[in-house]
Amino acid sequence: MAKTSNYIPQDSPIDRMHPMVKIYAIFCLGLSALLFPYFLFSYAIVIVLFIVAGIAKLLKRFSKFIIGFTIPITIMLMFIQGLYSPKNETILMDFGFARLGLEGVVIALNIIGTLLVFLGTFYLMTTTTYTGKLVAALVQSGMSVKVGYLILASLNVVPQMQRRMSIIKEAQVARGVETEGGLLARFKAFIPLLGPVVMSSLTDAQERGMTLETRGFAVTGIKPTTYVQVNESPSDKLIKAILILFFLASAGSSLVLRFVL
Amino acid sequence: MAKQKMSFTQGLKAQFSTKSLVLIPIAVGINLIGGTLAATLKLPLFLDMIGTILSAALAGPWVAALVGLLTNLFLALVSNPVYVPYSLVSIACGLLTGYMIRAGLFKKIPGLIVTWLSVTLVSVIVSSTITIFVFGGATGATGSSVLTAGLIAATQDIVKSVFASSFIENLIDRGIAFAIAYILLKRIPKRFLSQYTIQSNFDDED
Amino acid sequence: MEETVLEIKNLSFKYQDSKKRVFEGLDFSVKKGEFICIIGPNGSGKSTLCNSLVGLIPYYFTGKWGGNVIVNGINTKDSSIAELSRQIGFVFQNPFNQLSYTAGSVAEELAFGLGNMGVPRSEMLKKVDKVAKLMRIDHIIGKNPLELSGGQVQRVAFGSTFIMEPQILVLDECTTQLDPLGSEEIFDIVKELNKSGVTVVMVDHDMERVARCADRILVIAYGKQIAIDTPEKIFSNLDMASFDVDIPDFVTISKILKERGYYKGEITIDEASAVNAVKEVLA
Repeated sequence: MAKTSNYIPQDSPIDRMHPMVKIYAIFCLGLSALLFPYFLFSYAIVIVLFIVAGIAKLLKRFSKFIIGFTIPITIMLMFIQGLYSPKNETILMDFGFARLGLEGVVIALNIIGTLLVFLGTFYLMTTTTYTGKLVAALVQSGMSVKVGYLILASLNVVPQMQRRMSIIKEAQVARGVETEGGLLARFKAFIPLLGPVVMSSLTDAQERGMTLETRGFAVTGIKPTTYVQVNESPSDKLIKAILILFFLASAGSSLVLRFVL
Repeated sequence: MAKQKMSFTQGLKAQFSTKSLVLIPIAVGINLIGGTLAATLKLPLFLDMIGTILSAALAGPWVAALVGLLTNLFLALVSNPVYVPYSLVSIACGLLTGYMIRAGLFKKIPGLIVTWLSVTLVSVIVSSTITIFVFGGATGATGSSVLTAGLIAATQDIVKSVFASSFIENLIDRGIAFAIAYILLKRIPKRFLSQYTIQSNFDDED
Repeated sequence: MEETVLEIKNLSFKYQDSKKRVFEGLDFSVKKGEFICIIGPNGSGKSTLCNSLVGLIPYYFTGKWGGNVIVNGINTKDSSIAELSRQIGFVFQNPFNQLSYTAGSVAEELAFGLGNMGVPRSEMLKKVDKVAKLMRIDHIIGKNPLELSGGQVQRVAFGSTFIMEPQILVLDECTTQLDPLGSEEIFDIVKELNKSGVTVVMVDHDMERVARCADRILVIAYGKQIAIDTPEKIFSNLDMASFDVDIPDFVTISKILKERGYYKGEITIDEASAVNAVKEVLA
């Protein structure tokens, strides 16, 4: 059965943390990294994220993810900003066809740092939070149930359709429909493969709508409750407060650093 | 039932009725299996817009835009985060298709062709702009300097060829997507269609 | 004297943009605790009738509607699908389209309707427990609904509907897509519920089952209500073949014997009486 979400159940304090706290983390840390003028700040936060990943027992996976993302984008941005940024004045290296400038490198490091903070916290959030719990927390905080439905249903429906598609493909191939062969033959194979799936999916849509309606979905004026439990513990409140203070402090110092100095 | 003009927000809310809401994940699924089917058949196309077009016809422009956005988010989550900024392309195409269908362009083939060409154009312009913008590095600098940086980042020849190949690729890809979507729409029983569209957009038997 | 729980008065419906009515002139009532089976050829409007009973017509499907449907004294025209779901439950053919696709476990799925209505969690837990046992899915309560078999998913669908405590159940061919074992399990549950007082309105095409279980049978063909009566009267009086409806083998047996003058008793509608009829003739 294909995985329908990135959630990896672990018994860790991060797992038990209230989902909204993790969302606060994404914004507070990410925006702080974005605003602060010196890139070392972002990398300091990234180191903290590694520690958090360790507590969440996901250090290996987190490291793989970060490295997998960082290497290609570093090469790309170093190339473009380092070599061609219009702000380049100080030259670090001369390659002949282009020159590596300090300002460009700094800009690149800044971008990479900010991206790493955003992506890192987002990754940690999705891998440590049961999607149903995340949506329940969001709905509790006022998000529309319809958006919640879209998040959960898309994660369940799309892999199911993909599985159905591969079953149909196998059946059709057994019946002799071309999946190899000339370009035209493969083109011709497309509609008989896609058509039935689309048609039955549309009927499914109609019936699933009937189901939602007969279960009283999204009736205006009613605040829904959830089977999935979402509770805010004292430590959650504390961490949330710390995150907000951190953001305010770093935003404040960013303003000072940028405009006063 | 008199054809009243609904206010914009009323129309927007109506688009997200339960009937349309359940269609969204399924349309996203159709987009994605269109894409993987094309890949498996080794066709040199993406064909990841069929669901968006169908939802535009059945539920409206904003639903189609949302389908486009969710398709990109799903791809970003599952394969490559670079898909996220390109959501704008899918959103724009969804909106454009939806509004053109509403204007009745799907009733006859010439209208279909116009929709196809406009969507291709918008698709190329928006995606190329995003590429240049992103590669220029979102440094928070003003728009024109980013554009300049982008143009410097790739030599003049490369930019020209990016635009040109992107155009042909998009033209064929969108064309086939629209053709397939149109064929499928024609095959859907009338009884089903009439449960969705507020006005009938496919026949002249108004 | 049992109270009337369901009244259908002169009901007619035509889908939007359609030129022909699906049905017209449907008129009957159902008493509390009854087991009504609806039979008729395909396309005769049975599903449309079911949709009308639970409020999907007129609130989900658009079209032109005439007549009245009164559920437990409430006219569906003055109600809503959500409100009606607490009076009258609906289970239809495809089990996998009766999932919310938002639940990670069977327990969450069962609680979905209650959550939508804002039921407090403590109450939810009790009801989920009760319904899971009733629908024989307590052993799979933690599993992902998408990983279950068709029969299991259909029991989850039953559970999700019944947890809202409706006193009437509308079943539209709810076992057609299931294997024989799955069908039987569902059917046992339906009979149990009916015995405990739940009114059942069931569309089915398994005539043996219909003949066995129904208190009354409603025959709908080509958009018209042909008859509503006990199984014995329906099968003996009507020329079912003219409506493209199969008759149970047990009925055919006694009919043939009667036609040929061998048998003078009542038309049999179940296995035991059919066997007795044959014994009688052979004696």
